[in-house]
Amino acid sequence: MRPSLSLAIDFLRAHQNPDGGWGYEPGRMSLVEPSAVSLLAIHSSGDMTGSSRGLDFLRSCQKSSGAVGLGPKDADGSWMAYAALLAFHALGAADEERRLKDWVLGFTDASGHFTPDDIKAISAVYRYDASIRGWPWTSNTTGWVEPTALFVIALVRVGTPPTQNRVRSGVSLILDRKVPSGGWNFGNPFSKSHELEATVMSTALALTALGAAGVPESRPAIGEGIRYLNRSLAGEVSTASLAWALLALRSYPAGASQVPGVAARLAGLQAGDGSFRRNLFETALAALVLGDAGALLRPPRRSG
Amino acid sequence: MNGKPMTRRDLMRTLSTVAVTSLPAAVFATGRGQSAKRPASAPLLQVALVPCPDYDSGRLVEAIRAGWQSTRPPDIRGKRVVIKPNIADFSKERPIHTDARLVEALILHLRKLGAREIILAEGPPHNRDTEWLFRKSGFEALAGRQGVALIDLNYDDIRPVKCVNPRATLLKELHLPKTVLAADVIISVPKMKTHRLAGITLSMKNMFGILPGIKYGWPKNTLHYNGIPLSICEINGTLKTHYSIIDGVVGMEGYGPLLGTPRRAGVLVMGDNALAVDATAARVMGIDPGRVDYLAMAHKIKLGSLRREDIAVAGEKIDKVRADFVLDPEYSFLRAPKG
Repeated sequence: MRPSLSLAIDFLRAHQNPDGGWGYEPGRMSLVEPSAVSLLAIHSSGDMTGSSRGLDFLRSCQKSSGAVGLGPKDADGSWMAYAALLAFHALGAADEERRLKDWVLGFTDASGHFTPDDIKAISAVYRYDASIRGWPWTSNTTGWVEPTALFVIALVRVGTPPTQNRVRSGVSLILDRKVPSGGWNFGNPFSKSHELEATVMSTALALTALGAAGVPESRPAIGEGIRYLNRSLAGEVSTASLAWALLALRSYPAGASQVPGVAARLAGLQAGDGSFRRNLFETALAALVLGDAGALLRPPRRSG
Repeated sequence: MNGKPMTRRDLMRTLSTVAVTSLPAAVFATGRGQSAKRPASAPLLQVALVPCPDYDSGRLVEAIRAGWQSTRPPDIRGKRVVIKPNIADFSKERPIHTDARLVEALILHLRKLGAREIILAEGPPHNRDTEWLFRKSGFEALAGRQGVALIDLNYDDIRPVKCVNPRATLLKELHLPKTVLAADVIISVPKMKTHRLAGITLSMKNMFGILPGIKYGWPKNTLHYNGIPLSICEINGTLKTHYSIIDGVVGMEGYGPLLGTPRRAGVLVMGDNALAVDATAARVMGIDPGRVDYLAMAHKIKLGSLRREDIAVAGEKIDKVRADFVLDPEYSFLRAPKG
């Protein structure tokens, strides 16, 4: 492991909470997403110190239904379950992984509740097909691009075939919500006659999910998305968006030429204390995507 | 569906993916201090309408000082103050967010008044990339310049707080950010804008942004399913906004709150009762506040008042600065008659 990445791992270890979890920032309450991604990063370093406590924290967040919410006290399952699924898989918590995976496959959005009139009205204004099932941020609300992408990434990574119904439907949702001029935003390509702008984070997550699910580069949405990313990367980009963008560019051969530059740019954001913005989630994510452990999140590369 | 054409209300409900819950009368009897009793002899709710033609820092500081003095502001000395601007998104062409220069002038004003700590806090609604939004909107630089914390409420630590009337809403409890709960004083500083789902967005609607995305999503879809008017009233009834300053120097008309066009109103609208401030700002925009669902609901449940006769407006007269904001055709019914 590169010395700079060791520093990042040291930073994560130094800020593990007494309950075994991690917050988004040092000293903050433990939540599932930063805990699971920190665990993945530490696991990838090969030194498992603190991992068992971290895993115990994640276990404490799992309900009898298999669901995982934001933290141990959360009564509901939520979008953060994507990260727990990846962590349970990587750390060999097979029973927890199986129960959570079953819950994720049953975690539904509101698509099944829309009437034909609802679907028609939504299509007229936002120009997407609201009958396609994806994943919501919270139970029984609308499916959006980012949670759908996160769950597709996690499900495929833990071995769910891309042909599985929910995964296939998630891929359809992502493709359906594409912004016509390239890329993705949170999930509304239009609002009435106005095309809404794409964003780097949504586009990067969408491309990573599509790459994971084996959607070929020959699909126009992929090329347009990568071109959008390339254009956007010339400007101001945040730490988290840069990290996700690196993952997206690694997902398709058309993005490969940008990978070294984006990796160097991301690495350049690391602070002297090893962190990225003193944000534990971003530090863990950056360590994962910059290191060999990127494979934990990175889908197998497919030619297209 | 029954085959009848959708009404505007049906359409709005679907488009905000709402299951509107019926609201029992007077569910928010007190709004937790929002409508604190005043003595019979006390004057009406006070709102200041302060002309401010541009974002010149000296003029902004003076306008805030003048508006502050002619209303009933909270006591700031020694207090921890959270300022909640509206940073719904960023566009180079469109004035989506509260102008950072106004917030900087407010910080200077609060420092003079002896604030112990000042925090800027926002949880943008659908773009999760808050680092980028804070940078592009100028708030990151402002926070650095003024040495104040800038908090992304979407990822803040949270604590559940019982809703004022859990039977009236799907929410039952609100998961609120600890930054906001720990504040002594909350100041809402929104942009004056039209809104494609709510009609207009001012101080009360701005408080959607305190609810954390990690719990409510991006967009904060749970609130849409709960019904936008009801959610606005629930949030404002549960958590007191101590003061509001609406950035109407340049607002947004047409297809707001993201895709409209700039509209110069040249005013700040200020006061301690968010509903009265919003009602006054609506009148400046040429809108009848009684026709805005959530303002009417807030009035009904006594979060303050929107009636002209209950609001003493200091400073400029409404009719003198009235700038009829262009309305999306769906909302043309909001237009107030002249005079």
